[in-house]
Amino acid sequence: MTTLETPMNSTTTRPSMEATAADRNRAKRRHSIRRGSIYVLACLIALWILVPIWLIGTMAFSTPEDVRNYPKHFAPIPASTETMDFFLNTDGIQRAARNSIVVAIITLILSTLLAIPAGYAIARYLFPGRDAIRLGILSVRAFPIVVLAVPLAITFIKWDMYDKVYSLALMHTALTLPTTILVVASVFAGVPYELEEAARIFGCTPAKAFWKVVLPLAMPGIAAAAILTFVLSWNEVFAAILLTLTNRTLPAQILYTLDKSGDPFKFAGGFFMLIPSLIFIFFIRRYLFNMYGQLNK
Amino acid sequence: MKKFSWTPYLLLLPSLLYLVIFFAYPMYESFRLAFQKDSAILSLRDEPDENAELGGQVKLQTIVTILDRLQLEETLPNGRIRPIFWFQVEGEDINGNTVTGWVNQKSVFIENRRTSETARVVAGEPTKEWTTDFAERMFNDYRFKRALITTLILIVLILPLQFTLAIIMGLIIQSRIRGSNIFLYIYAIPLGVSDLASGILWYSIFTQRGFLNSFLDTVGLIDKPYIFIQASNREWMIAAIVLAEVWRATSIVMVIVVSGLQAISRDYMEAGEVFGATLWQRIRYIILPLLKPSLQVALILRTILAFQVFAVVVAITGGDVLTVLANETYRWYDPARYNNANVAAVYALFIMVLSLGISLFYLRAVRSQEEASKNL
Repeated sequence: MTTLETPMNSTTTRPSMEATAADRNRAKRRHSIRRGSIYVLACLIALWILVPIWLIGTMAFSTPEDVRNYPKHFAPIPASTETMDFFLNTDGIQRAARNSIVVAIITLILSTLLAIPAGYAIARYLFPGRDAIRLGILSVRAFPIVVLAVPLAITFIKWDMYDKVYSLALMHTALTLPTTILVVASVFAGVPYELEEAARIFGCTPAKAFWKVVLPLAMPGIAAAAILTFVLSWNEVFAAILLTLTNRTLPAQILYTLDKSGDPFKFAGGFFMLIPSLIFIFFIRRYLFNMYGQLNK
Repeated sequence: MKKFSWTPYLLLLPSLLYLVIFFAYPMYESFRLAFQKDSAILSLRDEPDENAELGGQVKLQTIVTILDRLQLEETLPNGRIRPIFWFQVEGEDINGNTVTGWVNQKSVFIENRRTSETARVVAGEPTKEWTTDFAERMFNDYRFKRALITTLILIVLILPLQFTLAIIMGLIIQSRIRGSNIFLYIYAIPLGVSDLASGILWYSIFTQRGFLNSFLDTVGLIDKPYIFIQASNREWMIAAIVLAEVWRATSIVMVIVVSGLQAISRDYMEAGEVFGATLWQRIRYIILPLLKPSLQVALILRTILAFQVFAVVVAITGGDVLTVLANETYRWYDPARYNNANVAAVYALFIMVLSLGISLFYLRAVRSQEEASKNL
């Protein structure tokens, strides 16, 4: 995989034997105009991404009066945590946030524990049925959540597991597991096999070589995969709202009370849900292409 | 590489088992919920006795003719004895054949035990029956067509915008201008944003006292807020949803496009430049064809996800005036509203069939195109 850090190739002017100075200047100018327009476009798209986040942040850190006011300010002046406080102290929100975190952590642990051996098998072994299993895992990833949530809700009612935090975590694990396996597999594939071989030659059992050599090297990537799992679970709302009733997770709680709540609550809630994703993108940035890029391989 | 070993299978086993339990089993349950309903059948006896051999089986509500009747006695658990009628009846069984046999008065409704000529079967053993009732209920629901149309409109509007934007983003990242790493991070931010958060975000822009009106007001284009989101303004509601979805879900397409672009050898691009191809020609004749496999994967992924669009719609429109398939699934399931998991399961299966159908269509279309180009 090519990394983004590879030095820039010199894609500047075409070599031309009898190019005059004027020609070269013109080409240079054309080149810098193009470069400039790419920059303008790049910045416009960056604004398109960033402005809505800025706006919702503005709302979350304005006073509730300013949130209801019209026309609105475009910056949080005067800044206040009142709106955020109001949201966080609304009935059921802290409980829902706690549920969300518990569900996401259980999902993260289960998903990672299951994915490590599976990912290692896919990355390191050639075995009959390997491609079929890979393809199967990929297609499961593209499966509509909607189809699973309804029957699972009914099954959980039957098994007396309905409205439990752990049963939602079981469901989320099913949803995130395929992605986690593929990401972990690509992380293991990036650990040089020679190191593992060397450990074996020096007398390590395969298990010990994995434990002492491969796993520590793969750990940052696995951690990134785990963070991805956490965010996927934190964001998931359809299964959450179907599988819980009193033990709502944060998105489910917010969605459920959406039509009954005022703008300060909505905007603070929207911003609060954004926070993990902003942190997430910072931590996983090196693994971005491990995660999504290999979808098309 | 190595000789055959069981190790990889053992390593994969827990994950595969987990997926079977949580994918295969719910799928099966989903079919049952959608196409089976509780029902009962009555077994006829050869003799007027509870323990006699079984004759035929009759569905509930079947009208049977009475051929013969007997007044017998039965002993209740408390030792008392009471009279009970047995009827020899003739009727159509489950497969449409005529069967005869004995039933007692508890299983049939009869106007007069001594004189009536016919009876109606009202009790039996519980069983499951295949049915299209729930499917019909979904198709006949007045909201179904609206939900389907809205979902399709959203897909048709969102996907082209998303792919155009994603390709532009990818080309910017790939052009390796200074700071392209920073642009990549910024463009990737929405990857982790939930559909609900994105919906709320765009709601804050389009709501009556929202940022769009504030902006238009500040620059003096309007003097009182325009109500974008209201029942008579379907176009604006759809526009808001499209923007929210394009904003949120373009990042994943962008990442797939960038990794596809990275796989394109620079030789092709340089060849294009050497032969004097313009930027547009390079995009049209070099980049896009080579990017096709990546785009195809992204297209299938995005289409499947677009059929499930849910929280964005609810956050922006409330989900009543404007509805989509996933929202209807939830509405039918919701214990506080229709509380009918069966119809919800039909909706869920319908969404799945649509997504699978479209994915297959894409794959077929691409293949036939490839065959056509081979024949040239």
